[in-house]
Amino acid sequence: MNFTYLFVLIWLAYLVCSGVLLFSRGFLLARVSKTESSTCRRLSTNPNDEYVLSPEVVNEIFKDVNASSSSNLCLPQKSKVIILVIDALKYEFGVYKDNLTEPPLPYENKLKVLHELLSEKPEHARLMRFKADPPTTTLQRLKGLTTGSLPTFIDIGSNFASPEINEDNVIDQIVKSELPMVFLGDDTWTDLYPRRFKRAYAYPSFDIFDLDSVDQQILKHLPKELASEDWQVLIAHFLGVDHCGHKHGPMHEEMARKLGEMNDVISSVVQQMDDATTLLIMGDHGMTASGDHGGDSDDETNALLFAYSKKNRFYGSDAGSDSELLQQIDLVPTLATILGVPIPYSNLGLINFNLIPDVPVPHLSKFQTLLLHVWQNAQQIYRYFFSYALENKRTFNVDEMDKLETEFILLTHRVQTIYNEAAFKSFVRDLNVHLRDILNVCREIWVRFDPTQMSQGLLFCFLPIFFAFLLINNSRSADYGKIFKAKEISYIYLLNIAAGVFGYRYFKNFSFKTEEQGVIFFTSILSAVILAFYTLKHWTSIANNWSSVKRFSHMPTRLILFSSMAVYFSNSFVIQEAKILSYLLGGIVLLLAYELIQLSARLDFKQKFKAPQFLRSTLLRLILASLLAVCFIRFAFTLFRCREEQGNCTDFATQQGFVTKKSGLSRVYISAVVIIVIYTTLTRLYLRSCGNLTGNSPNVLLARYGPTVASICAGGHILLANSSIKNVHRVHIDAMALVIYALLIVQIVIVSWSPLMTFVLPPRNPNVISVNGKDSIVPEIFKKMKRMYEGDDAERRHEIPVVYGLATVYSSVIITFGVFLSMVLIVLLEPRAAIGLVASMAIGAILLSVNGILRYRTATSFESCVQPTFTALVGWFLLANFCFFATSHQTTLSQIDWRAAFVGRTTGLGQSNVISGALVILNTFCGHIFFFTVYALLSTETFSLFALFPNLIRSNSRLGKGDSATALSDVANESVGFDMTRGELSLYEYEDVFLGSNFKVATQFIMLQGLKIFCSMLACTIHCRHLMVWKIFAPRFIYEALATFVSLPSLILGYLLLLRIHRAVDSLIKRINKTKVN
Amino acid sequence: MVLSRFDQQKTKHQLFHVSLSLATILICMAYMQYRRNWEHLGSFWDSLIVPIVFIGELLKVLLAHFYGRIEDGVLTAKQRQKKAAYFTPREILGGLTLQFLCTLLYAFICIILGAPVLGNYEQTFVLSLLMTLLTVSPTVFLLGGGGALQVCFCEKPEFVTKCEDTALNLFKYNALGGILGAWAGSVVAPLDWGRDWQVYPIPNVIGALLGSALGNIYACTHVLYATVRMYMSKKRG
Repeated sequence: MNFTYLFVLIWLAYLVCSGVLLFSRGFLLARVSKTESSTCRRLSTNPNDEYVLSPEVVNEIFKDVNASSSSNLCLPQKSKVIILVIDALKYEFGVYKDNLTEPPLPYENKLKVLHELLSEKPEHARLMRFKADPPTTTLQRLKGLTTGSLPTFIDIGSNFASPEINEDNVIDQIVKSELPMVFLGDDTWTDLYPRRFKRAYAYPSFDIFDLDSVDQQILKHLPKELASEDWQVLIAHFLGVDHCGHKHGPMHEEMARKLGEMNDVISSVVQQMDDATTLLIMGDHGMTASGDHGGDSDDETNALLFAYSKKNRFYGSDAGSDSELLQQIDLVPTLATILGVPIPYSNLGLINFNLIPDVPVPHLSKFQTLLLHVWQNAQQIYRYFFSYALENKRTFNVDEMDKLETEFILLTHRVQTIYNEAAFKSFVRDLNVHLRDILNVCREIWVRFDPTQMSQGLLFCFLPIFFAFLLINNSRSADYGKIFKAKEISYIYLLNIAAGVFGYRYFKNFSFKTEEQGVIFFTSILSAVILAFYTLKHWTSIANNWSSVKRFSHMPTRLILFSSMAVYFSNSFVIQEAKILSYLLGGIVLLLAYELIQLSARLDFKQKFKAPQFLRSTLLRLILASLLAVCFIRFAFTLFRCREEQGNCTDFATQQGFVTKKSGLSRVYISAVVIIVIYTTLTRLYLRSCGNLTGNSPNVLLARYGPTVASICAGGHILLANSSIKNVHRVHIDAMALVIYALLIVQIVIVSWSPLMTFVLPPRNPNVISVNGKDSIVPEIFKKMKRMYEGDDAERRHEIPVVYGLATVYSSVIITFGVFLSMVLIVLLEPRAAIGLVASMAIGAILLSVNGILRYRTATSFESCVQPTFTALVGWFLLANFCFFATSHQTTLSQIDWRAAFVGRTTGLGQSNVISGALVILNTFCGHIFFFTVYALLSTETFSLFALFPNLIRSNSRLGKGDSATALSDVANESVGFDMTRGELSLYEYEDVFLGSNFKVATQFIMLQGLKIFCSMLACTIHCRHLMVWKIFAPRFIYEALATFVSLPSLILGYLLLLRIHRAVDSLIKRINKTKVN
Repeated sequence: MVLSRFDQQKTKHQLFHVSLSLATILICMAYMQYRRNWEHLGSFWDSLIVPIVFIGELLKVLLAHFYGRIEDGVLTAKQRQKKAAYFTPREILGGLTLQFLCTLLYAFICIILGAPVLGNYEQTFVLSLLMTLLTVSPTVFLLGGGGALQVCFCEKPEFVTKCEDTALNLFKYNALGGILGAWAGSVVAPLDWGRDWQVYPIPNVIGALLGSALGNIYACTHVLYATVRMYMSKKRG
């Protein structure tokens, strides 16, 4: 029927989203990965090989170390290697404290075997701080640990889908050198490196609640593998510690148990390993005090590295290697050196000789060996760096490049003249400084931006918002039908597809980098032109409408909106955004209350202020409700999550003195359950009082019983999932979540099949007296007599069909849908956050009712009555954003609530990454999704409110004199020009205006969200060299971009829902009319 | 036409009123400048801001009474009745109660908008007292408790004299400016400058003062604009 509007909405949403996407491609630029790989000539100790290590060869090499014949060398393998990766092994976990006076914390002194080995054989063991580069998520860390290159920011999004690595890396080098590898543990490795391992025992890292099963599987196979002799490299990746951190935090007893287990594993490995093996134990990242990771705080980046070799002692710090701290990228060249394989092509790390067993190489002195290693490393870095610079011109500063090159040439000359150890030491020191300089240059540069894509993204985000503002915001709701004709919209779509195909095909001719950019560029340009054309075409009416807008109207609201957008431009505002947003939202609510007082107080009290009358008035109730809403907002302060920069944040605190994460406050769980029950009861009561729970239509049945079942399941899930009772089967807990998911799906099916929640009373024949056994016959006869006495009135009543719930025909369905949606969100959220969601919904309800009454009082016609006030619109928008913070979210990357991905799925049901991602998104952006899906309530609720409480009309009427004799409908007719008592049925009667103005509201929300993301992008552009850009602005932008991608479809979904209901109402009314005619 | 609408007495009253307000705020600023350290602004006993504002508001009311005397002759019966009841204990008690309730309401609003719930009571009290002084008190002083309620909640009561009406209009600017200023003052709170004047409630106190100053300046420009227009038309005439 009116799908034209829907397609316009989709079109606008596409334009805004594509602008954001383009910007993010330019802003979060990935490093260009190079696919070349290193090779080398192997210096063998086996006399049968072609390139044997002999005195002549050594002489040849040292004649000219820079000659092509002596570069690309590999010295023989030094030992076998066992790598035990213990996920999230923090540095502090391994540090032994001698004199602990107090009882030790759960993680302290648990890895005793490290301490014993260190004190027994200090020359054979090393304990170092293992410094990770952010982002500290396992996938990114594994990439860094194997390629030796710097991670880029954008990688973080791909944690759920592990792609194969195509860059040169140490695993591939080992495979090429034909050293067999065995792998046990986390299957992220086998996703990254499929088919590389001789034997792989990979287990899914999926279920973070499962502390033990992966570790137990490893332990089952590890002794057998240690005993077998057919491998050179063995990698085992334990997940228990990380999962324990996620589930319980580092301060929990479980952590002590897991670390104790790890201690046993290490000591058994140390016993079983042979003399010619190097053992490396490492954590891939640390964890915060709450057990999470992903960000770049010291807690998260400081992991532990422990190395042990039975027979050979390690080289010391002679070669200038740090003995305290190891950068994670340094592991790759070090590992390559131990195994005698070429250092991967794109490595930027330095060999750390503290970890390399001192195995003498025949015919080479110690310093010669070291020199060869160091120089191979330097040549490799130089080769990579300068070929990268050559290929990606203008990446690096020319002066800086010149300086680095000169330095390197000096070093190449100097390396020829080293004949003793002292010279070698000073040379190595200088070389290390130089190579670290290169690393730092790269580190600075690889967070680099693509200005063309960024500017295009900004422009293409701005243009549709601007034209939509001109065209849609300044036209009357009834005129949209004339502006957007179905045929024209289909042409627009065809044109856009043509432009997209053109861009896809010819993007190279316009020197765009990707097809995507080409498609977005041409469709956006074309669409902007079309929008501009539309604007010009309707300019007269736009100008007319615009001129009637008061110039300084809504100034406080605009101020609040402006402040909420201005937040992005200052890092301290972003840090405190939660509080700022609640302050602004509180301001909006108080502003609404003020407007209400201004408008209605004078009407209510005429001449004299009377306290009793004031106490009884609706006004007081509304003011109290507004205050209550602000109280809810204030209460939500206790639910906010803090971030590291705020200081004294327990999630990040490094001192002791706080208990385990999410420390089972049963009070919170119980109150969450109680609040959920109250919420479902209230919505049920509301629906019942509207008459929407009468009858047997499928949606009514679902609404009658569904929420009750859902709330029981949600409560049960909250209590069981967080309880300390161990013997509850996980399947049973999951089942409750699954029931709730299923209810939402059923609701969606029913809404698309038969959405209405009305009940048409079958017409009774007044001439028959029906008596059932229990009732006495006399009253029935009396009633019949009375009806006869009243005569034609009864007849008329017989004629008019009685329909229950017709006055709230639109809003009831939306509310029911919202209830099921919110139940899913509640079960996904943590209990604390669920309270926040319900509180936000309560605020929303108060906002709706205050706006409803305010709207009615200010309205002069149907059109203005159905269009919510600007203040309410902004309030709703802020509420959606506020809900994000009220549900314990924060705009940092380490505080994403990954637990949501496992709600109802821990038993291995549907382990698809898409579903996991969707659940996390639903959890994170629950506010946006919920409030934008039910946005249509803003315009319908005014009507249902007045149908429910018809007396409001009289007390509100401008005439006021309304004595009881005048019918309510007349009063309403006089004040707003149509019959308000008919409730939402009047929406159907003015369907053009109604659908048009809902379309307008949706567009306004798109504009607001677009403006917000535009401000965020602008702030990122302005601050792109700011100190805090990666820590504050970029995560904020990522969150806002995702919020945009989520909320625009939610708006469209909301509008679609409305269209579906409208269609059903249409057929219902037609059916009734037909029966009436017959 | 313009000439006839122009009321010299009223303009004089308005200008005096506005200059009184501005002078009060200037004195507050001078006082703050004199004390240098602003940390005391939140304390009740140590800060002179509240007394200064109090005296300023009283002076404004006196001014209104002074100009009111001129039109004593043309009062209606209701207005006389109201005037006579001004100093009765009932009115005074009502006025005080109203102001007290208002202070409580402001304190409550401060807390629900984010002031600490436990602690900082003195600061919250000072801020809400200042807000009351800037918004409700002048009206109460002028009309008494009942009158103030009627002005706030009802249509314009009959007993308000012309001169009181002038003052009430100006009080409105003062009050709106004060509220918006105090609300907007919080803008500096989240910034990480680490200054000692970013502590609650100093930005809000200063914001309220500056806001009411702006409100008064806005009112002043209106008055001046009307005056200038009058003179221009006179010249032309």
